Parts: sequence; C-alpha cells; structure tokens
Amino acid sequence: MSKPYYNNPDAENLLEMRGVTYYYEGNKAPSLSDVSLTIKKGVKTAILGGNGAGKSTTFYHLNGVVKPAEGTVLYRDIPLKYKKKHRRELCSHVAVVLQNPDDQIFGQTVLADAEYGPMNIGLPKDEVQERARSALEQVGLWEKRDSNSLQLSYGQRKRLSLAGAIAMHPDVLIMDEPTAGLDPQMALELMELAEQLHHSGMDIVMSTHDVDLAYMWADEIHVLRRSEKIYSGKQEGFYSDRELAYSAGLLAPSMFQINTTLCGLRGIDPAPYPRTEPQLIAKMTPGADRGHLDIIKVEDAIDGSQVSELRGAGKIVGIYGTGTRKQITESGIGVDFIFGGFESCTSQVLKGRDAVIFCDPDCAEIMEKKAKELSEFGEPLDYSLS
Amino acid sequence: MMTLFEVRNVTYRYNSRQQRPSLDNITLDINEGRRTAILGANGAGKSTLFYHLNGIFKPKEGEVRYNGVPLDYDRNKLRELRNDICVVVQNPDEQIFSSTVESDVAFGPMSMGLPKEDVDERVESALDMVGMLDYRRRPSTQLSYGQRKRVSLAGALAVRPKVMILDEPTAGLDPQMAREVMELVDQMCCDGTTVILSTHDVDLVYSWAEEIIVLNHGELVYSGEPEEFFSDPEKTAFAGLCRPHTFSINSYVSEISGKEQTPYPRTNSQIVAKMAPEGSKGGSIRVVPTKDDMAPADFEGTVGVMGYYSKKTVLAKGIRYDYMFDALEMCMQDAVKGMDSLLYCDESMVNLAVDRIRSLERFGMKVEAIL
Repeated sequence: MSKPYYNNPDAENLLEMRGVTYYYEGNKAPSLSDVSLTIKKGVKTAILGGNGAGKSTTFYHLNGVVKPAEGTVLYRDIPLKYKKKHRRELCSHVAVVLQNPDDQIFGQTVLADAEYGPMNIGLPKDEVQERARSALEQVGLWEKRDSNSLQLSYGQRKRLSLAGAIAMHPDVLIMDEPTAGLDPQMALELMELAEQLHHSGMDIVMSTHDVDLAYMWADEIHVLRRSEKIYSGKQEGFYSDRELAYSAGLLAPSMFQINTTLCGLRGIDPAPYPRTEPQLIAKMTPGADRGHLDIIKVEDAIDGSQVSELRGAGKIVGIYGTGTRKQITESGIGVDFIFGGFESCTSQVLKGRDAVIFCDPDCAEIMEKKAKELSEFGEPLDYSLS
Repeated sequence: MMTLFEVRNVTYRYNSRQQRPSLDNITLDINEGRRTAILGANGAGKSTLFYHLNGIFKPKEGEVRYNGVPLDYDRNKLRELRNDICVVVQNPDEQIFSSTVESDVAFGPMSMGLPKEDVDERVESALDMVGMLDYRRRPSTQLSYGQRKRVSLAGALAVRPKVMILDEPTAGLDPQMAREVMELVDQMCCDGTTVILSTHDVDLVYSWAEEIIVLNHGELVYSGEPEEFFSDPEKTAFAGLCRPHTFSINSYVSEISGKEQTPYPRTNSQIVAKMAPEGSKGGSIRVVPTKDDMAPADFEGTVGVMGYYSKKTVLAKGIRYDYMFDALEMCMQDAVKGMDSLLYCDESMVNLAVDRIRSLERFGMKVEAIL
C-alpha cells in the first residue's frame, strides 16, 4: 500500500473550507458563494439553513465528492486532492449519510449492505465481517441481517444507511437531515446514537433545518442563506440577532424564545441559556424541592426484579444507550422512559421524584456531563453514579 | 357540529397474507369545520386511513360514511366524491404529472368539466395563494422540493374541495416554508374548508389541532382533545410519540409551583403569558384588514403580514414590514414582551387573528387587539 496522503492526526481543525464557490452544471448562480468555515475536532457542529441554502452542496465538498470551482477544502489542514485514490482514501476518514437512505443502500441483504463499504476499500474479510456486525448492532439491525434491504421500513433503511457509514470507521460522520421523516421516538433514538458515537471519538457534523433539534445538540453552528455563509459560532449569538435568523428562513428555537422573553419579563439574566426542557424547568422554578437521580451502569444484564422493586418503591426508571435499550425491548422489562431517558427522568427529579437511569457503561460519562450541565440552571442536581 | 365522516369498524389489509391488518377495526368520527390531526409513528396507518376517506381504498370490513351516506365505490360516484374531498400526499412527485406547473394545477378543475375560463381563474388564484404564480409556465421538473410541494397543494386548492386532507404537509420543509403552509391551512379553514392533516410533528399539531386521532400499528389509540392524550405519558410513549414541549413544560412548571395546569398553553406566546410575573403588561396589536386602496399605516412599531392577499399587496405597495411568515405569533411574542405591533391581515382571517390575540388574556396577560 502506498503512503497515505491524509496523515496529520494531530491537527486541531478537522475540516475547513476556504473561499469555496461552486456552480451546478448549467447554473449561472452559484450554489455556494465564497464560503469559508472551520469545523473543529470534538465540537458538535450543525450546518443550518433553509431548503436550497447550500447545506448538501457543502457536505459534498467536505467529503470530496464535489470539487470546488474556486477555493480550497482541507481535511486536518491538508488540502483535498481529487484523484480516485485520494477520494477513496478520504472516504475512510469522512463518511456522509444522505438524507434519503435509498440513495445509499446498495446491498441486497442488510448484512451485504453494511459490508459493502469496508469491502470496497479492500479490507480483509474478517475485518469486513466484524465491522459490519458491530455497526449493525449499534443501529439495532443485527437481528435483521438476512432481511432484504428493500423490505425494511423507512426508519430501518435510515438506520441501515447509517450503519453503512459507521462500518467505515470514519473520523468524521456527516449526517444530512438525520431525523427527517422519522417519528419522534426514532428521532430521539437516533440522536442518542449520535451522542454515543461522538462520545466514542467519532466527530459528528449534522445538517438540518430543525432548529429545535440543533439547539439541543450542537456546540457550534454554521448558517447558510442562499448559498452564502452568514454566521459561524455559538447558537445564542445567532438567535439573539432575530432579524438575521428570520432572514435565513429560520425561527429561534422554542427554548431560546421562551427563555429570553421570560427572563426579560422577570428581569433576570437570560444566560445560562437552557437548551432542554429540564434545563428550562430548573431555571424557572428555583428553590423547589428536588428528588435524587441514580445513574446505574449496566455492565451485564439488567435485573428485572431490581427494576420492578425500584418502581414499586415509587421511583421513576429510564434508560439510555443502544445496548440497554436492546436489553429492555428484548426482555420486556417495564420501565417508565425508553426514549429521551435523561431529560424525562430529570424533569421528574425536578418535580421532587426520585429517578434511576440505567445506561450503557460507555454512556455514564455522557450522563454525568448532562447532570453537571443541568446543575448550572439552579441548585446542583443531587445525583450518584454506580 | 355536523359529523362529516363516520368510519365504522374499518379493517384493511394490503394483501391477504398480511398478518396484522394496516387498519384494525377502526371506528371514529370527524366533524365538519373541526381542525383535526391524525398522529402516529411511521407505519401506524395514517395514510391508509386517509385513502379510505376519499374512497381510494375500499375497506375489507366495515364502512365509511360521508355526510351520513355510505361511500359508493362506483367509478362515477368516486369522481364526484373527489370534487368534495382532496388528498395531498406527502411526496409531491407522486402527485405532479403534467409537464408545466399550470397544466398540472389545471388537471383537477379540468377533470371536473369546468369551462376553460373557470379553470384558468382557479389555476391562477391557486398558484397565487401558494406564491407560485411567477412559475406557472415552468416545467415541473425544474422545481425545488419546496416548490413542488406547493404546486401539489395548489392542485388541490384549485378543486376548491369541501374537505382537504393533507399528509405530512410540512415534512421536509424548512421553518419558513412550514409556517407558510400552515398559514395557508389556517386560511383554508377560515374560508370554510374542513382540513384534516397527518403529521408526526407533535409541536405543530398541538399549536394547531382542536381534535387529534392517534393510531398505532393500525389500531385507534385515542380520539379527542389533545390534552387528555398527552396527559398520559405511557399512552404517548406507546404510540411512538413525545409530548409537545409547551405541554410538557407547562405541566412540570405548574406542578412544581403548585399552580393549575389549565388553561393549557399551546404556543410559545401563550406559555410565556402564563409564566410571566404577575402584573406584566402586554403590548397591543393593531389588526388592519388589507385592502386594495390601502395606504401604509402611520405606525412606528413592528409590522407583520398575514394571509396571501396581504402579502401580495404589501409587497406590491412596498409597505414596510418585519414579519412575512409566522407573523401573528411573532406579533404576539412582541406583545407579551410589552411591545406594540401592527398586523396587516386578509379580511377572512381577521376573526382568527383577533381570537388568538385575545386568547392571551386567558393565560394571564391582557394583550389588546385593536381593530
């Protein structure tokens, strides 16, 4: 194998566009016009904009599918090259999950599809199989591995296309409208998976016009409006400029709207800005009696009798993580919250109830981080981790 | 209130091998003029139910009655029925057939056998309503997704049906377009059309619907006002849904601070009005019915525009404005902050605007609607 071209693992910038302009064939108006933006390592990034603003075109530049008419795209500070071998090398670093799964599903069976990408980059058979299995398990489709991929439901196809991308073990996973067309629970499940992947060290970039979703998830946003980039940075800075957001066809997220207006009326500081329901509830009900939150790592199997004992004692039980969810759905153990476990349980805690979250071992840190974040909106959250 | 549809014990299978029917013994009523939303996870049976309402599907068991009369599946009778009831499917590409925008929109009125000038008039007004009049001679294939979605809506508007059934009308649309479509939906309701829509956007449903019908795996889970359903977290989760955020925040905050959950706020301005400190004074909203000979109002505050005719007129006259989409809610948000605003509004929508503005008083903040 020849020496890799993209070899700068310590770079702080993951992806960068410098003055990128692009025209689709036959169009006089550019689809991207002098766009510069930097996506940093470890920073959850969302690309926002209305229909036709240039979000997808941006993505096709980031994974090197499309070559800019002007400007440069860099991966870890190395300018992209567009020869076949460079493209192939880049696609094992940067994977894109398209909005419509049918544009991305090639294999006849679920398993064949998940194996397609790793096989294509010439990995040994053992490794191909191992990657496909683990990716399918992560998205909850391993049991369906022998099914015909055409016979899956929309939500399942969406997860399969995600598995195909995960199996590439990319450093960066770019997801175009990941929750479009999904019902609320599937959307929550997918966002939880994204969180888990991000925590495992895979960087995630998402494009969406769902401002509420982006607000909950992203550390930083880049906003496009009619092929131009109009904002990069923290979300509050963007939405505080109501005219700017409105001009991009976007409305401020509900949490932001409710919080800033209420803080104005109550004469309190809008910061810290709540981004989730429990954060807003905590901020708006200072001094109330709160309950206790237990976070329990599920190392082996969930003990059904323990769960029913807890619930019998009046505690609220929720779960977090793909592994734990799989166990719960397969074992039929009854819990209160299977989706949005953290937010639902902590809202109950704020109301004075005690709650327990069973989570995947690798999610314990995510839970702790969320618990600390929530503590910033009022009294420290009383929680323990075991 | 008149019952428009009576669905009685309807069961439907796409094929006989299907173990679990797509609709399983469904019985429900849909009332005339009532804003009704059908909710459910992917695959719950929402679209299948829609296709029963306009007779595309014939139930394997059970019966559908429209205006008290069982549907007649005779071809000519069905054609008649579809002049009354239009379904706009989620994916516009399944609905756009003709090569140009205007010929596509003309398809419905033409198959009704209307004279040419009536067809032309309807096409023009429908395209105008969805803001696509300038595109009338464009090939449909050159349109963006949002534009195609609006053309398929115009096609149904041109039929001027009594009942409009919209399958996921805002799916895939950005916030601006989604609000524009919802305003159009409100406009149809004001003009006397009964609108039934399906969606899994619970926030959207909650701010719009008077009545919800919830399906899960082909079974009817709930039918009635939204609050009773969302008050039951288990039922909500079981149906693959989440609670709307205004409902959820209101219920937690009320409970923690020992206040009544009712009245239930359904929009951001309503929840702010309810949670605002006592004695907060709301601003006012001047509602101005838009007229052809209208002069710009002498007004300093923020200006919103609501309704397609108002949008057109304000743009043509070059009148200053701040909000062109979601204008009523934007003005109401300004009002709960104590600011005054003005809303140019289509005549047919004035009552709706005034009612919504005055609703804020129920949530503890008086916002004056000045006519």
